[in-house]
This record gives sequence, C-alpha cells and structure tokens, in this order.
Amino acid sequence: MSADKIPADSISHLSGYEPPDQSDWETGLHPMDSLLRGERLPHIWCQGCGLGTALTTFISALQWLEKNKEWDLEKVAVVSGIGCSGRVAGYIRLDSFHTTHGRAIPFATGLKIANPNLKVVVFSGDGDIAGIGGNHFIHAARRNLDITVICVNNFNYGMTGGQVGSTTPHGARAVTAQYGNFEYPFNLPYLAAAGGASFMARWTVLHARRLEWTLREAMEHRGFSFVEIIAPCSTAYARWNPEGKGLDPEKLRRRGLEVIKHYKEIGKISPETHPKDADVKVDENGVIIEIVEGKFIDDPKPDLQEAIDQMAPIAEKKWKAAKRAIDNRPKVKGRTDKVPRKELQLGGFGGQGIISAGKIIGQAAAIYDKLEACFTQSYGPEARGGAAGSQVVISSDLIHYPNITEPESAIIMSQGAYEKYAPLITEKGILLIDDGLVVLPENHRQDIVTYGIPATKAAEEMGNIRAANTVMLGFWTSIVGAVSKEAMKLSLADSVPPKTVDVNIKAFDYGYDRGTELKKTKAIPIPTPTEKTGTTHSGDKKSSINEP
Amino acid sequence: MYWRKPLDQDKIKVPCGIIHIIEDRCKGCGFCVEFCPQGVLVMSKSTNSKGYHPPEINDSKHCVNCGLCSLLCPDFAIYIEDKGKRTPEKVETKGKAEEQS
Repeated sequence: MSADKIPADSISHLSGYEPPDQSDWETGLHPMDSLLRGERLPHIWCQGCGLGTALTTFISALQWLEKNKEWDLEKVAVVSGIGCSGRVAGYIRLDSFHTTHGRAIPFATGLKIANPNLKVVVFSGDGDIAGIGGNHFIHAARRNLDITVICVNNFNYGMTGGQVGSTTPHGARAVTAQYGNFEYPFNLPYLAAAGGASFMARWTVLHARRLEWTLREAMEHRGFSFVEIIAPCSTAYARWNPEGKGLDPEKLRRRGLEVIKHYKEIGKISPETHPKDADVKVDENGVIIEIVEGKFIDDPKPDLQEAIDQMAPIAEKKWKAAKRAIDNRPKVKGRTDKVPRKELQLGGFGGQGIISAGKIIGQAAAIYDKLEACFTQSYGPEARGGAAGSQVVISSDLIHYPNITEPESAIIMSQGAYEKYAPLITEKGILLIDDGLVVLPENHRQDIVTYGIPATKAAEEMGNIRAANTVMLGFWTSIVGAVSKEAMKLSLADSVPPKTVDVNIKAFDYGYDRGTELKKTKAIPIPTPTEKTGTTHSGDKKSSINEP
Repeated sequence: MYWRKPLDQDKIKVPCGIIHIIEDRCKGCGFCVEFCPQGVLVMSKSTNSKGYHPPEINDSKHCVNCGLCSLLCPDFAIYIEDKGKRTPEKVETKGKAEEQS
C-alpha cells in the first residue's frame, strides 16, 4: 500500500506535530503570511526576542528579491540547526530543512553541491554555528561555498535555559556563570575572515532596515556570505545581565525592548573596522559597551562551484585515460576450478611493499582470475617503520566477512612482523619468510610449515631491492597456488611502475621457480625441534624448509 | 509657527500609510511603539485574547509609511498599507505633534 492510499487519520505523527487545522493562527492577514507556515504559528519565541525580527527582515529581503530581482523562491532552501533559531526552518514556507545540532552547514553543503541551482541559506544560532558547528563553519568559509549563513547571536544557549556559550562575553553572567564568564568569546567576524569568507556583515536587530539590505546583498553574493545578527535573548541572557534591567518589575515584561534600547546607545556603525577589532566590547562587569556594526568584508572570489567546474575537464581527461587502460586490459577467462576461502597475512616493515603486495594478489584474484577477493590493511603508527601488515581473503564464493580470522598462509618479511603474525597462523598453515631478515627463534612453531627464501638479497642482486616483495609473491604463488601464475604476472605488470616491469617479472619468476623446486625436493633436511633453526637460515643456503 | 515658509512647500509630497494591527498576534514586546519615528503608536490599556497589551494608533495622520514597525515586529502583527502621497499642511514632527496635543 503506497503512502498516498493510507487514510490521513490513520497516520501516526511524530510527537510535536500538530495537524494543520488545530492552530488558531488565521493566515493571510499580513503581507508576509505567504511565506509562513500558518499551521505552525504562532511561533514559540518569547516576548521581545530578536529572532522574530531577524525572520521578518529575512522574509522582507526575500520578498524584495522576488519582486525586484526576479528570484524564484522555489529555488531557495533554508537550513536550520537546533535551538530557538532552528525553528525558522519550520516556520518559513520554503523548502526547508531542520537538521541536527551544529550540522546545518554540512547539510547545506550537500544541498548546494548536489543542486547548484539552489540558493541555500543557513539560518541558525551562535551555539549552532560557532559552538558545536564551529568547524563546519570555518571549512565552508575556506571552501568559499556559495551559501549564505545567517547567525543569530544572542550570547548564550537560550533554548536550554541560558547557559554560557562560545559567544558569551567575558565577565557577562549566565545561568551557568553566576559570577561572570571566565572564558573569552569568539569574535565571529574575525573567525569568518580568517576562514576566508568573501562576504561578512554584522547588524543588531535594531538596525532592521540596514540588516535587510545586507541580507539582500548577502543572498545575491556569489560565494560564502556570513551575516551575524545580534539579537536580545529576553528571557535568559537579559535576566542575568544589566542590559535587560534584570528583575526590575517595571521592565520585567519588556526585557527584550530594554536590550534593544541598550543596543541603540552602544551600537557603532563602522564598516571600515578591521574584523580583528570587531569583537563585542564589555566593561569590567561584563556589560556590553560597544558593538561594531557594518559590512566588514565584500571581496568576491571564485567559489567552490567555479573551482569544481574548472577542475572537472581535467579530472574527466584523467578518468578517461584510466578507463582506457582498464578497457585495454588483456581479456582472460579466469579460473574455473573452485577455490575455497583462503586467507593470507602479509607482514613486514614500512617500505617493503607489503601493502602493494597484498593489493597485487587481490587484483590478480579479482580481475584476472575472476575470483572474489578482499584486501584490508593495517593503518596506524605501527605501519610507519614498525610492523606493516595487510590481509587478503580469496574465495570463489562471495566473501561475507572481509577480515581474516584463520590465516592459512603468511608472508613475513621482518622480525617484528614474525613475532606479531606467526602465532596467528592456523595449524598446518604455511609460513613464508624472507630468509635473512627473519631469524627463526628456538621456540619456533613446529605445527606449521615454514619455507624461507632470501628475497631481499636476491632482489638486490637483480638490481632492484624494491622487488623483494615480488620475489615473495612468486614464492607464495607457487607454494600456495590460490592464484594462477598468469594472473599474478598481469596484475604485477598493472601495478608496478612501467620501467620496473622487467625486473619485477624476473624477480617473480625467480621466486616462483624457487618455490616449485622447494615443493618438489622433499629431500631437504627437516630440522628437528632441538636443532637451532637460526643456524639453518644464517648459512650460505639459499633456501630452507622446516616441516613438523 | 515658522518665521519663514519653505519655498517648495507646495511641491513636497509626504508618503502616508494606513496602519493595520492584528491584535491577537501581538505579544506586547513594545518594539513598534518604541521605535516608531513619528510616534504614531502607543501601548493600549486593553489586552488581546492572550492577555498582552497590543499597540494602539494614537494619531494615524503622522504615519509616513516607513514600514519600520512591520519590519521590527517579531510576531507579524502589524503592517502598513501604502496610501499614496499627500501634501503636508504644515511641517509635522513628533515634537510638534505632541505640543499641539
């Protein structure tokens, strides 16, 4: 049954949703009602809150743009985060999006990149933009993403009761800073400027007219535009701070108005101010004594979309070249026999090509043998000079679990990796070591088959020490046989630099022949557990075998 | 009132507007009353259905259709309708209006 066939009264709504007909808001009375969702109004904002005025100026700017600049408001999307300001997305009758706390800008980024024709406006608060979402804010500014960010700054976390936030002035009181805020606040214009915003302005809600002009400009601006709106928080911030005349019973119901009157006295319109000096100045008691206002930055520069458009042809060209190389791959039939799940552990130290060896095996299995393969690698500090590791799973059936649990073979090229990975190999598993780099200790496991080959030495003799991993690959291919020799060679040719293909093929053949030889010659003495295995490998012998 | 009449007094046209107050939307914040440049509005003594004191028009002829009240009102409770332009009979300011009343 599709959603449109379900009777409306049987849909259970999420809590907080009110069916449209339950609101007492009579719509169509005000010129701005066409852009308001009447069913959600009246809004929850307190008496004297600046958010209403911020929304009015925003709608007014939108209506002006629609009328005078032929804007299609269908193409405007409003994104809000959490907090009182987050309600804007619910009140405005446009495509809007109420997102998680602090993530309004990431959602807007997605919207804008997926549909560059949209005009995306982020309407959010200081806790959302500068607090939890501060990082997103500076990065959107850095990218010069073409969105408009409106930050309604009321100096505290208003919706939750007036806690100290990242913009609370130093010394100002809040519900969680009863003796004055110890911390220093963000200077949002400077933060935006440092991030690289190409448009930045600040107004208090008192300067509604100039704010509206600035919002028009900001929305028309191509690139990251940021408008900070200083708004009174009549219930929370104004209660604790002298601007709102505190608990004066005369002013009790007019705290928002008292704050705005205070802004009228202290607001200083000075667009030429450097953003560095645009911080909200307070006296020793935390009373705001100066708010610099104006449009501080208007510096058009290429935005993200332009950069994408510029880079796209280059990327396309490179992608086509890569695609051609893939299409020109030799056509192979692949293996037809069944390969049971085989797990391989590779270990060594960083720089030996442990990761690329694993990748070559995986590619050979997946592309040329047409098997299933999974490749994972160990990241982290241990991969830098310490034990680097990678894991490959090969099977002719689907691989449901990508990590290895019981490796039946291992390629080990350093002592550290031996100590780390040798205990993990299953019983009767195969351990392949680089003879010379790994010295088997006295208590070496006797329940596994150990083969050794002086891979690094051989590769050095062949003229490229970096082909040591290729020797090990050849050795592994012949002994374990999970992947065919041809597939491995093709994959190898794909993966190594073109100049080194010959030496790598040579190294591979050397390892392969060695392995075949060792597998045949059961005559090689099997060291008894009492015999020192170390001596077996330290002599001039090129290879050795150790079987239980 | 003035010792000299402005020469272009007849040519000057002043915009004027009709104030519409949607009383039941008002939360009584007082922004419109406080910041009306012409002092057209006052707080009403009566209350609306929510118990707030909405603004009341004191003298609508002084309204110059600046629209600041409608822009500042957080509750979408007041707006101005354009009534065209008119010739001022005399120079009207807030101060003068008060004096006369």
